[in-house]
Amino acid sequence: MGNKQTIFTAQQLDAYQDCTYFTRKEILRLFDRYRDLAPQLVPLDYTSHPDVKLPYELIGSMPELKDNPFRQRIAEVFSEDGEGNMTLDDFLDMFSVLSEMAPRDLKAYYAFKIYDFNNDDFICKTDLEKTLNKLTRNELTEDEVRMVCEKVIDEADLDNDGRLSLEDFQHMIVRAPDFLSTFHIRI
Amino acid sequence: MTSYSNGGLFNPAYHDSETLESDRRSSSKSHPHTNPYARGERADTHYATGQNSGDDAVGRVPWGGWQEESWRGRESIPMGLISTRPGSPPWQHDLNHSTFQIPPDSQYDRSPSVRLPPATSGNMTMRWRGMTMRRMSMFPNGDPNHVAFTEDAIRNEMENEEQNLVKELVAMSTRDRIRAIRDLPVSFDEKKHIRSQVLAFKSSKKSRQFTCFADCSENMSLSFRRCGYSIRSARQTLQLWQGIMKEIGGTFGTSVLSYFVFLKWLLMFNIFSFLVNFGFITIPLLVYDPSPNIPPNVSFRGLEILTGAGYFNNTVMYYGGYSNETLVGLVEYNMQLAYFFTIAVYMVLCGIALIFSMASSFRTNYVLADTSSNSAWQLLCSWDFNITNERAVRQHKNNLRVQLKESLSEKAQRELLTLSKKLKHFGVYLGSWLLSTGLAVGCGGSIYYLCQYEQQRATDAANWSLLQEAETLLVPFVVSLMNLVIPLFYSLFNKFEPYSSQRRQIYALVVRNVLLKMSILAVLCYYWMNVVAIKFSCWESMVGQALYRLVIVDFLFLMLGSFFGEFLSNVIGRRLLPRLGVPEFDVARNVLEIIYAQTLAWIGIYFSPLLPAIQILKFFILFYLKKVSLTQNCQPPRRSGRAAQMQTIFIALLFFPFFVGALSMVAYTAWSLTPSEHCGPFRGLTNTFSVVGVWMEYLEKIPGSQWAVWIYQNVIRSEIFYFLISLIIIVTIYIFWQVTQGRKHLIGLLRKQIVNEGKDKSFLLDKLQNLQKSKPDQKSKQKNHKKHSSGGQSNSNAMFQALLARQQLEEEEERRGVGGVPDISTSSALAQAVQARQRAEGQERDEYYRTGFSENPVNTSSALTQAMQARRRVEEDGADDAQDLPSSVSSVMMQVMQARQRAEEVDRSHRVPAHPQNLAPAGSSALIQAMLARQQAQNEYDDGY
Repeated sequence: MGNKQTIFTAQQLDAYQDCTYFTRKEILRLFDRYRDLAPQLVPLDYTSHPDVKLPYELIGSMPELKDNPFRQRIAEVFSEDGEGNMTLDDFLDMFSVLSEMAPRDLKAYYAFKIYDFNNDDFICKTDLEKTLNKLTRNELTEDEVRMVCEKVIDEADLDNDGRLSLEDFQHMIVRAPDFLSTFHIRI
Repeated sequence: MTSYSNGGLFNPAYHDSETLESDRRSSSKSHPHTNPYARGERADTHYATGQNSGDDAVGRVPWGGWQEESWRGRESIPMGLISTRPGSPPWQHDLNHSTFQIPPDSQYDRSPSVRLPPATSGNMTMRWRGMTMRRMSMFPNGDPNHVAFTEDAIRNEMENEEQNLVKELVAMSTRDRIRAIRDLPVSFDEKKHIRSQVLAFKSSKKSRQFTCFADCSENMSLSFRRCGYSIRSARQTLQLWQGIMKEIGGTFGTSVLSYFVFLKWLLMFNIFSFLVNFGFITIPLLVYDPSPNIPPNVSFRGLEILTGAGYFNNTVMYYGGYSNETLVGLVEYNMQLAYFFTIAVYMVLCGIALIFSMASSFRTNYVLADTSSNSAWQLLCSWDFNITNERAVRQHKNNLRVQLKESLSEKAQRELLTLSKKLKHFGVYLGSWLLSTGLAVGCGGSIYYLCQYEQQRATDAANWSLLQEAETLLVPFVVSLMNLVIPLFYSLFNKFEPYSSQRRQIYALVVRNVLLKMSILAVLCYYWMNVVAIKFSCWESMVGQALYRLVIVDFLFLMLGSFFGEFLSNVIGRRLLPRLGVPEFDVARNVLEIIYAQTLAWIGIYFSPLLPAIQILKFFILFYLKKVSLTQNCQPPRRSGRAAQMQTIFIALLFFPFFVGALSMVAYTAWSLTPSEHCGPFRGLTNTFSVVGVWMEYLEKIPGSQWAVWIYQNVIRSEIFYFLISLIIIVTIYIFWQVTQGRKHLIGLLRKQIVNEGKDKSFLLDKLQNLQKSKPDQKSKQKNHKKHSSGGQSNSNAMFQALLARQQLEEEEERRGVGGVPDISTSSALAQAVQARQRAEGQERDEYYRTGFSENPVNTSSALTQAMQARRRVEEDGADDAQDLPSSVSSVMMQVMQARQRAEEVDRSHRVPAHPQNLAPAGSSALIQAMLARQQAQNEYDDGY
């Protein structure tokens, strides 16, 4: 622990380590990544809690997110203001949830929010259509999109209300073991 | 949406926290709840600072798990710790939520036994999530006049929830607490806030106790935690190939990555086995006698690196290089025992590690996995967030599109199969299976004859000519060639076979390859144990050499394979025949290759204890080789199947035929074969295992170790012991199997129950809608509301209930002649709401009791008590139904609705258009009613569990 760093105080680092799944080294690395996005905006000293927010354009240009079809949703879901502008805390939180260590429930919760485009706490048909269009570059015909969405709802909707609640979604996630490894961004 | 809450003096949150609390309290007296999510609540009492008297403990109902009286929470937290964060609360961006769903938490409480809450932390996550969801839905929308009031009330409520959470967290151990905080699905700032509250609470509690001790222990725990963190980060630094893994995952996705993860895992296995063997067998020998006793006429010629013969034959590389003496240095070290026990313990540890990883992998990846929801999975779970490469993303999208299209057309295709087509398919399957099995058997046979031919030429002499030495490479060469070429044929067969699903195709391929490798290895083992063991004087070393050669040549062929297989087909695909395309990385074939390589190392562990060193080198180079070949030559697999399941199958394969086969081979050698007489640690014994017998004889003479001898005589050598053990195991397996069957049945039932409840819900909604439609004489205002409500399906439930209740309230007022009061205060509105409800219930109650329940509204408080009584009665009625679940839920809801309906029917004659001023309070009271009805339904449901 000998190397001195002056970006955070020991208490701040403790808090970061207690609230995320990262170690001290990873937190410092993530800070570097965050700072690299806009070196002129982010100070090297975070001990006085500076109020810095990076706009979505910068966050979305990270190599980890740049080609992700859901990058905007991810940024929106994890940012405090809901528009994708992120503080360092939001940034850490995002990668913490997307890290390997995060439990299935937490991941499922955020995945649900990401797929819930209209923020109504349900994944409804329009959300599914949006997801589908993002995933297939709008190359399916309308008919096919409709059929796929119907099939998805038919398969995953347990309580027959025509849309997927968080509960339905979690139920599906439990039966899809790959989810844990695919809903994961390495940094 | 806006219309029913405008002018509302009372926001739903306020009512929710007051009315419901009292209501709940009363109901709890008659029904002790067993809410599954409320465990923490009771425990909290210990942390309240002591002002709480007995009665409020009674009043505290663990209802729903997320709510509590506001004043209680405040009492138990030291002043100043209460959240005073003004400004933008983190939930503000959720203000635009359009749904107004009243009890979102009900979705959590509905099916407690289906979801398996992992432990306290999971429970916590659910609770907090319930809170956040609730919080979102708490805003019908911003009413400009009362925003401040609403926000106040809501902030209060949030603080309460937060404080409950804080108290629960304080009660946990440090480790659990940190995990629980991490698992909260809230923003980082909120987590930090909760954490600081917990810490502050803890320290303030401690400071009242013995300060010094508390300080010390606090510091200790902090430094321990920091130490733990630094250990974790040190371990992370040691992890191999982080960057490469990220790169591979980014360009090729998780399924290809799983190959590399598997390779790394096997590498770790080998490093462990090398350390064990080297530490316990080789180092003691080298310390005792550092110079290998090599015959004078043998020298190092270079070819040994490939053949492992000649010079190596007399080193510690092979069994023959070890002595059978007891090394006398600082301590006595019995080489025989060390050799035997090291190998035995290593094999057992390997087996245990494999079984555990296999079992956990099966549990998480296989048992739970469900293939029925394929489209849902493809759409919502299959996107690989790992992928960062633009080309890969494009390809992934394309693949997904193709797969979705296929899954849409799959059903239609399957039905079209005619009998002749089926017969044809069957014929193709049969042919290809016969052909592939025949190939495997043919390979096995030809290798046996080749071995025999070689054995005739080989001599026992220590000094071989170069040509003789090179001839030994013939068998491994042929074996590796077969391993390289035959799978290509299998892939070819696979192309002709019509498989309905990709999974079956892969399984067929895997099974054929496994058959081939098994038959080759079985023939080789048979040859070694029955021919080599008789012919050569130091036969263990000969077998070790053969294995060494196999390992090395296999490695060369793997390199050649990725060069010719992947590089050449890449060149062909790009330049010559674009039709073939760039090759895909075949995960299944590659994984089988490394499984085969690992099996060789396991078999060789007895004959050549340092073989893991070669294996480590091999896997290390292979990793980089495959990585380069992958990035240069391959494209991501077109069909990324369910990688987790495939990985489980690979681990199972590694264990079942391969590890078990290697283990039985080694065990057979140790138990039944006579070790060579002139070399190795076991020379002169009838079999390897008898070394234990010899040791026991020696122990018998030493006093104080009789117990070991007794164990040996009565446990290890007795048949009855093994008989009993296997009997017990069989019985246990049978019992567990029965339990599994029972659970399967239960899961089916629970699933049905969920579906039924969904049907119940929609049925009730329909009924309500019909009811509403059957009253066309509603006033126009209500019709407007109806239009609003039909906009979103989600809020129709609450809206309908609200409308019904409002109508009812108006009627009540009309009858009593208080409708003309222009300005109604909060409390009177509350009273009215409660009265309305009470009447509704009273109507129903008359059916059963015919009691002369007081109908005179006296004042607010009496109305409240009346409402409680009425409610209790209804619950008593409901309790009868509570036995036959899940119908109780619907039955209670039905009762409430019937009551309302009746109230309306009775009073329909008095109907006069109501005073517009009353609308707003009615709106909020209707909300209460809706919530009450809902909660009662849940009460019943919880009781049932």
